[in-house]
Amino acid sequence: MTTAAHPEAPDAQPLVPLHCLLRAEPGPPRQAALPTGTPVWVLTRHADVRQALAHPGFGRASLYAPDAPPLTLTPNILDDPASMLNSDGPDHQAIRRTVQRAFTPRAIERWRPWVDGVVRELVDDLVASGSPADVVGGLTKPLPVRVISRLMELDGLDIDRLGHWSDHALSTTAYTAEEIRTAIGEFSEFGYRLVLERRKNPGEDLVSSLVQAADQTGGVSEAQLTSLTIGLVIAGHETTMTSFGNALVYLLDPQHADAWRRIGEDLSAASAATEQILRTVPLGDRTSAPGQLRRAVTDVEIGGVTIPEGAIIACDSASANLDPEVYPPGPVDLFAPLGTPSLTFGAGPHHCLGAWLARMELELGLHHLARVLPGLRLTAPVEEIAWRTGLLTRSPLRLEVSW
Amino acid sequence: MSADRVAVTVDQSRCIGSALCTRTAPDALALAPNGRATPLHPTAAPSEELTEAAEMCPVEAIAVRHAATGELLAPVW
Repeated sequence: MTTAAHPEAPDAQPLVPLHCLLRAEPGPPRQAALPTGTPVWVLTRHADVRQALAHPGFGRASLYAPDAPPLTLTPNILDDPASMLNSDGPDHQAIRRTVQRAFTPRAIERWRPWVDGVVRELVDDLVASGSPADVVGGLTKPLPVRVISRLMELDGLDIDRLGHWSDHALSTTAYTAEEIRTAIGEFSEFGYRLVLERRKNPGEDLVSSLVQAADQTGGVSEAQLTSLTIGLVIAGHETTMTSFGNALVYLLDPQHADAWRRIGEDLSAASAATEQILRTVPLGDRTSAPGQLRRAVTDVEIGGVTIPEGAIIACDSASANLDPEVYPPGPVDLFAPLGTPSLTFGAGPHHCLGAWLARMELELGLHHLARVLPGLRLTAPVEEIAWRTGLLTRSPLRLEVSW
Repeated sequence: MSADRVAVTVDQSRCIGSALCTRTAPDALALAPNGRATPLHPTAAPSEELTEAAEMCPVEAIAVRHAATGELLAPVW
């Protein structure tokens, strides 16, 4: 087994598929420690996670204040204090405002016919390549890249290079701090040049509209604009591919054969299943932190516990997404409506910007693949899957399927 | 500009409590104890802040309508 994103990885115990990961039982906030030794309050109940993520008493910027405790062993791009993710309140809203309009449900819906076309094309090519085939290389990896490249008009750029930067940017243990710094430096240089270029020659693409919106509104720094631009590339490369790959590991289990066929027959079934899969299949192992981190900027009471000013909390959305207070326990009904939104895309001001694009890609990807290949199956047991590891997310490196 | 009143509604099943609206239009919307946005008054005077709040909502949970006619005023674009 080779794991390109983790060259030094020893072949240890086989990793379990993400949908089989053990989750903490939702309960009151409890104390734990980050890998750096920093104490952290872990929130696992849906109501607590949701309340904390929307609470102005918890921030991201303060995680990087001079007095902040160490949070990561090897910082990656999410630790960039200039980024939108690490700003709060009015500062955050100034940046978010410039990008939000391009990512509302109806703004994203305008892309549906085009995304649908890309999915059909990739699925047709996969079928034409013959059984068996690698569905990661043929579909789950190229789909999000093609979509974001088109939205940003990056056509003609070196996709492999963008993928290389993207991997480094979300590394936890796969690369050294120096390698990560170098890659992020190159990536930022690329983003900065792109911003300058689109300012000079604006087009209809997302980067041009970001630059125009930021220049009109004012108050968005060049560093923030650059960070946003490369953030979009990363988001477009990484998370959707991860969700899609892990969803297939789950759905191509023979016990879900009927569900798979139904997803192919009915787009609304694919849409419902997408929501349930997003809720129940986590993106990664959460080895670098037990959830999304925030820091209390004042004393805040959450779930019956007073989190003191300066303390770190981790919002464990994977556990909260299975909270029996909110979702029925037991086997997942893939076609039941969620009722309450899941916390997969977060909540509060930092709720994932690309949530609707990710949903659309997954829904169409699953639907068309199942429509064309209703008898699709994995050729090898899940224990033999080679995983991309050492990154914030984990997904199959390759996934051989046959029909 | 019309001085007609507008009615603001928040779809409680969609709201994810981003608080973007309550920070944009704090006179009209607030987060309820359950973490979801809630209109503070049955009707309000139309304002740019309300329009922006409805347009910015990440899940399009907010609707601003003409109070008398029910015509959707935001989000529309």
